[in-house]
Amino acid sequence: MLNYTVRRVLIMIATLFVISFVSFTIIKLPPGDFLTNQIDELKSQGDNAALEKVEFLRKQYGLDKPFLQQYAVWIGVWPTERGYSGLLQGDWGWSFEYDLPVGQVVGDRMLLSFIMNFSVILFTWAVAFPIGVYAATHQYSLGDHGLTLLGYVGLATPNFLLALVLMYFANVEFGLSIGGIMDPEYLGQPWSAAKFGSVLKHLWIPVIVIGTSGTAAMIRRLRANLLDELQKQYVVTGRAKGMPPLRLLIKYPMRMALNPFIADIGNLLPSVISGSAIVAVVLSLQTSGPMLLEALRSQDQYLAGSFLMFLSLLTVIGMFISDLLLAVLDPRIRLTGGVAK
Amino acid sequence: MKRAVFLYALVAAWASFAVTAAELVETPMYKEQVTAGKLPAVAKRVPGVPLVVSFDGKSATPGRHGGTLNMIIGRSRDVRMLVVYGYARLVGYDTSLQIVPDILEGLEVQEGRSFTMKLRKGHRWSDGKPFTTEDFRYYWEDVANNKELSPTGPPRDLLVDNEPPKVEVIDEITVRYTWSKPNPDFLPRMAGASPLFIYRPAHYLKKFHKKYSEKVQEAEKSGTAKRRWAQVHNRQDNMYQFDNPDLPTLQPWTNTSKPPADRFIAERNPYFHRIDEKGQQLPYLDKIVLSVSDAKLIPAKTGAGESDLQARDLQFNNYTFLKQNEKRNHFRTLLWRPAVGSQFALFPNLNVNDPVWRTLLRDVRFRRALSLAIDRPLINSVLYFGLAIEGNNTVLSESPLYKEQYRTSWAKYDRKAAERLLDEIGLKKGLDGIRRLPDGRPLEIIVETAGESTEQTDILELIRETWREVGIQLFSKPSQREAFRNRIFSGETVMSVWTGFENGIATADMSPDMLAPTSQQHLQWPKFGQYFETGGSVGVKPDIPEAVELLKLYEQWRATFDQPERKRIWERMLAIHAEQQFGIGVVSGVPQPVITRVKLRNVPEKGLYNWEPGAFFGIYRPDTFWFE
Repeated sequence: MLNYTVRRVLIMIATLFVISFVSFTIIKLPPGDFLTNQIDELKSQGDNAALEKVEFLRKQYGLDKPFLQQYAVWIGVWPTERGYSGLLQGDWGWSFEYDLPVGQVVGDRMLLSFIMNFSVILFTWAVAFPIGVYAATHQYSLGDHGLTLLGYVGLATPNFLLALVLMYFANVEFGLSIGGIMDPEYLGQPWSAAKFGSVLKHLWIPVIVIGTSGTAAMIRRLRANLLDELQKQYVVTGRAKGMPPLRLLIKYPMRMALNPFIADIGNLLPSVISGSAIVAVVLSLQTSGPMLLEALRSQDQYLAGSFLMFLSLLTVIGMFISDLLLAVLDPRIRLTGGVAK
Repeated sequence: MKRAVFLYALVAAWASFAVTAAELVETPMYKEQVTAGKLPAVAKRVPGVPLVVSFDGKSATPGRHGGTLNMIIGRSRDVRMLVVYGYARLVGYDTSLQIVPDILEGLEVQEGRSFTMKLRKGHRWSDGKPFTTEDFRYYWEDVANNKELSPTGPPRDLLVDNEPPKVEVIDEITVRYTWSKPNPDFLPRMAGASPLFIYRPAHYLKKFHKKYSEKVQEAEKSGTAKRRWAQVHNRQDNMYQFDNPDLPTLQPWTNTSKPPADRFIAERNPYFHRIDEKGQQLPYLDKIVLSVSDAKLIPAKTGAGESDLQARDLQFNNYTFLKQNEKRNHFRTLLWRPAVGSQFALFPNLNVNDPVWRTLLRDVRFRRALSLAIDRPLINSVLYFGLAIEGNNTVLSESPLYKEQYRTSWAKYDRKAAERLLDEIGLKKGLDGIRRLPDGRPLEIIVETAGESTEQTDILELIRETWREVGIQLFSKPSQREAFRNRIFSGETVMSVWTGFENGIATADMSPDMLAPTSQQHLQWPKFGQYFETGGSVGVKPDIPEAVELLKLYEQWRATFDQPERKRIWERMLAIHAEQQFGIGVVSGVPQPVITRVKLRNVPEKGLYNWEPGAFFGIYRPDTFWFE
């Protein structure tokens, strides 16, 4: 088990390094940089010296340095005037757009993102689990078909469409403000019970929207696994011995069928995070998604890069935890891991 | 001009005598603070000679204090709209687009080159500190001419033929800018939506200036400063960006929220310099709240009644949706006029690299044929319910310079005439009905767009139909703004789409720079513009006789300030554009929906929605808007 953990951690670190390089490269790929985008704006403000000003700023921000050097500075393996200061030292860099350290810009948004994504996973479980079990035990019944269809509809409806429909509906029926993850008056206020309540009031829309797309797959997986188990000898034996059906179900086959649930944390995280970005833009949520998109658009490279790194870190850790849980839950996985070693 | 401005100052002075005699009324929001002694009484807060706003009693009436105005902005940097809407300027445009003193009590202009500005005695910054000529001196000596703060020197708008002004501080309330030649841009730049601020809150910024702060000097010396002092100073000094709540301001509302925020709250400036005729200090509204939301959601949110006053990020095609929701959410939908010369104009790139195309596009007959082959009434009725104005890219009828022929010449749909012109040039039709270029290639024009609006592609689709009939194939190619611009600048683009002249309501006293090749941003001749901007080091010297003439006229305009002469120059330039079709305008005056809460008063029924001049709501003075 220790071996397994250590190996996983090492792979994790390597993965993060690769991610950091790839995402930084992609951010830098489009022609121009943050400042070329600013020239337009300065010009439209009637600033005729825009070009010279931008040249000056480019030097100040270090954007005139070669690509690899910029990357190395960001990571923290290349010194700037102020010495080493990058991701490795815990400095997320400087956001040009806001003219503030990235850490300050991100602030609350990460927390809100986390709350939202976590709720989505809980929602997916809460919906998929009972439906999956029901569908397996009542195979080919009306309920099985009906619920499966519902899951598929959820999978097939585009997220943004569902988001718009729900948003309009919630506004007309419940008077909920359009978009946003809380009522506008709580924005920028310190956390309080009322603010948390407001977040909960708004949270259900994005949670349903993002969640529905994930439930279908999980229902099908659980159903298939459980069906496999239900045919097996030990279930027949148990039933023959006169075990009550519900107790039998929970005690044996269901525990065997649980694996995909845990393993899915790892699969769910990336899709939830990317799915939530789109929905958050449509719903104008104060989570990380819209800000990330904006940063990518304006080529605010350190803000975008650090954002991506942070999300990757969360994902990688999530997968790590799910792997560990799985190993704890299912001795077979631990054993094979050991044998392979 | 001199006389006009001077006269106004006299009138203002007279009006204010009449009112200071009347009692000033304490603002309800401040009553407690004033009785507690935390804030001086209103008589101490307004300048000795405040600006008195009078109302005509019909479309605008004196109001009462109080209320919060909610608006929605598309991104957090739009908090600067508070400066745009607030529109407190040294001099500003009034609703008839004349430049009148605002923060200044008076202004004297001599020969268009010497500007003597008189401040209001007792005028204070929003933090209560006096606003004096020291703030002007600080800007000129310690900001504009400080090598570290302004590495490129004073802003170019303050230079006339590279000559900086002579800035004299005469006394505590009088300051004079003088050049040896006239500077026609000086007042319009100060009255701009994004103005040139030639003053700074010196008492606040000195804390960050190396010359004045020992702390900064020490930090610089010992190397403990995390960032260079100039960077820190520039960060604090965001008079226009309005994102530093600590920076004192002269605007009607001061921002209290520090970005990054999703909601900006602006509170009334207790020291604002305008009062109404009843002696109430403006603004009427206590607070303005700007909520940040995705720009695409703004029409929906506005329709749901979440904004009290909204025009930004609403488009004409939202009109029906908004109208539908009026009753349920208690707002009114007004239609204002924008002032761009054309909502949609095609720009043939006269600097295109391809020599065959270049010759063809420079042939005036070809440009005229293109214009004649556009069915403008069709576009107007299909996309704008016939509410737009069809015609060339020129000034609008609201402008005193407007003449019918500028709008209509070569702009009537006439397929036969277009075909005749194209035949005359010698562009023969092939078997497929498409004409051929002189070198045998089919006549296929790729029109590039910035890819930001579906409206543009819709119009292009309609133009494609009628161009096809005269044997021209049109393809539209959306890209992204940056790439779009760069391809035009480098001469790769044959034709592009953008809005027309920025200022369609120009008067003879406004600079005609948009008509002459003076900027790289003019999409029909980016390289001529670049040549002008860089003083001839990069770009191409204008070699089209009409462009050369336009440039000459522009220079003549700058050199004179005789109004009839200026008018003559403007008219000649507009006539050249109408004849030459350098930019092919399609429709203008596409109405801008403006949403206002039913109870919000003093918002004009019909107005001009424009950036420059206009500052969107600015010239209608939102500080006089009030809730019933």
